[in-house]
Amino acid sequence: MTWAGQVRSITGFLLLASGASLIPVVTDDFYKIDVATTILQDLILAMSLRVVMNLGLLNLAHVSLMGIGAYVSAALAMRLGLSFWLTLPIAAGTAAFMALALGMLTLRLHGPYFFLLTFAVMSMVQLFFHSYLEDIFGGATGLIGVPRPNPIGFGGFTLPLVSKVSLYYLILVFWILAAAVLIRLEYSRLGLQCAAIKQSEAVARAVGIHTIRCKLLVLTLSGFLAGIAGVFFAHSRGVINSSDFGIDPMLKLLVYVVVGGVSNIWGPVVGTIGFSIASEFLRSFHFLETLLYGAVLIAVMRLFPEGIAGALQRIFATARPSPVPSHAAAGT
Amino acid sequence: MFEAALALQALINGASVALVYILVALGLTLIFSIMGIINFAHGEFYMLGGFSAYYLAQVAGLNYVTMLAATLLAVCAFGFCLERLLFEPLRAQPLSGFIASLGLLLVLQAGASILFGVTDKRVNSPFPGVLHGYGLVISRERLFVMIASAVLIGLLYSFLRWSKQGLALRAAAQESEAAALLGINVSRVSGLAFGMGCALAAAAGALLAPVFYVTPTMGGQPLVKAFIIVIIGGMGSLPGAVAGGALLGLLESIGPMFFSAATVDFLGFGAIVVLLLVRPTGLVKS
Repeated sequence: MTWAGQVRSITGFLLLASGASLIPVVTDDFYKIDVATTILQDLILAMSLRVVMNLGLLNLAHVSLMGIGAYVSAALAMRLGLSFWLTLPIAAGTAAFMALALGMLTLRLHGPYFFLLTFAVMSMVQLFFHSYLEDIFGGATGLIGVPRPNPIGFGGFTLPLVSKVSLYYLILVFWILAAAVLIRLEYSRLGLQCAAIKQSEAVARAVGIHTIRCKLLVLTLSGFLAGIAGVFFAHSRGVINSSDFGIDPMLKLLVYVVVGGVSNIWGPVVGTIGFSIASEFLRSFHFLETLLYGAVLIAVMRLFPEGIAGALQRIFATARPSPVPSHAAAGT
Repeated sequence: MFEAALALQALINGASVALVYILVALGLTLIFSIMGIINFAHGEFYMLGGFSAYYLAQVAGLNYVTMLAATLLAVCAFGFCLERLLFEPLRAQPLSGFIASLGLLLVLQAGASILFGVTDKRVNSPFPGVLHGYGLVISRERLFVMIASAVLIGLLYSFLRWSKQGLALRAAAQESEAAALLGINVSRVSGLAFGMGCALAAAAGALLAPVFYVTPTMGGQPLVKAFIIVIIGGMGSLPGAVAGGALLGLLESIGPMFFSAATVDFLGFGAIVVLLLVRPTGLVKS
């Protein structure tokens, strides 16, 4: 079952990635490429948020981890003139470290206390970038003119990364890497331990799973990926502001993940792509977009809390007769 | 001497806003104590109260006290229906309820932006003018806000303390299963608690409408303050909310004399983090 599932997931993502790689071929509309670039960044964010939420941890500071990645990389590139290929690992590492620190502080808390605390942390991070260390992080105006990634050189051959299309492909590569890591996680020993924790934390602990260690590892990984998404956010848009990492983008991300479905690796993919495309049609009616987000979120919570992907999975699972009796399946 | 007068003046101004924030926080903590849900949409009911003040008092010219009573009743009924339709079915999963409240926040805020528009709306003060005395100044408007909040807090206390419904509410908050065994209709009591909590927030919004502008996004600030207050006082504790509000009002009125506004906010959030880690049950013993 594990192997078949893993092969199916990998095939699915390869198909999706090859489809995505065709977008700049079929269109030369820069606006569409911009939208596709944003979708890829959001996919990294949503997929990395999902693994944490799957553990029952609603991390409202996920967007701050992205913000830390964005601000650290942009500030290093602009103030010290460091190369993108140096700021990327430093910034993602900083985000991962902050995620680890957040986890070590907060994992003793449960339920509402955890997400209230992450909400406070998110507000503090936003306020920090908005009001403190103005000569480094630009204060209320934020950072303007974040440089594009530096070209990569292989011997005599250099690949410039200035055009939108090349940037799109660069982000695509990183999304594929992120997806590979997350699929691997899903089917690894750690992933199985996480699944056990999700079902019952007490039982998981009783059978010898180090639950805190699992949660810390997943949280750190998710912070690292969020940091990478933040770095690309900063260097592809060229402008960042503390409001990009506040409650509104966080809620949008949450809608992607929850509506798509937390329990399935495809959930955030369905949610992010579906909502991003729907938003394009609603962009001219700004508040209608927000209204739709909220209404769909409520409807999903009320009608099928496992999300769209989870509901589809359930429908297919019941449609296809199970090869093993259910009591035997439960034992595997 | 001058310094002392200034501090006292700041304290009076702080107290009037603190009383209103206590109203918001009491609603939030009431809902949490019964339903176990942190209502992120709570600030949006504050916003609805603000718009109610604008349309009923400013545009339609209704008397301010009548308007306040109408707002309380209407929002209470609205909250009751919301609880029945939305939160009651999610009772078993507090996390789903919380996420639904985030959706409610988006819907109410966007809905208000579409229906009422995003431009700032000014509500004239029902009681213009100021009072002087002992070298201190207080506007009649703020005095009205303080008195009305105090009356509402008093009413809530008497309702919970002496009415039969209030007793049922307290029982359900303490132990909902035992309360159900004793014949209390817990789901109706939850609806009532949610409606009353929302109504308190709306009353706060209506009271502060003349002090600040009315906009669809006005609910964010009081929501954050209510969180801080509820966490200081302990989640679900009503006396804690009053004490927490008094403490926050004190800090907010004295704080800006020493720190920048950003630092005061930063310290507020820092207080949430430290308190949740060190003493999640709050500072006040209930």
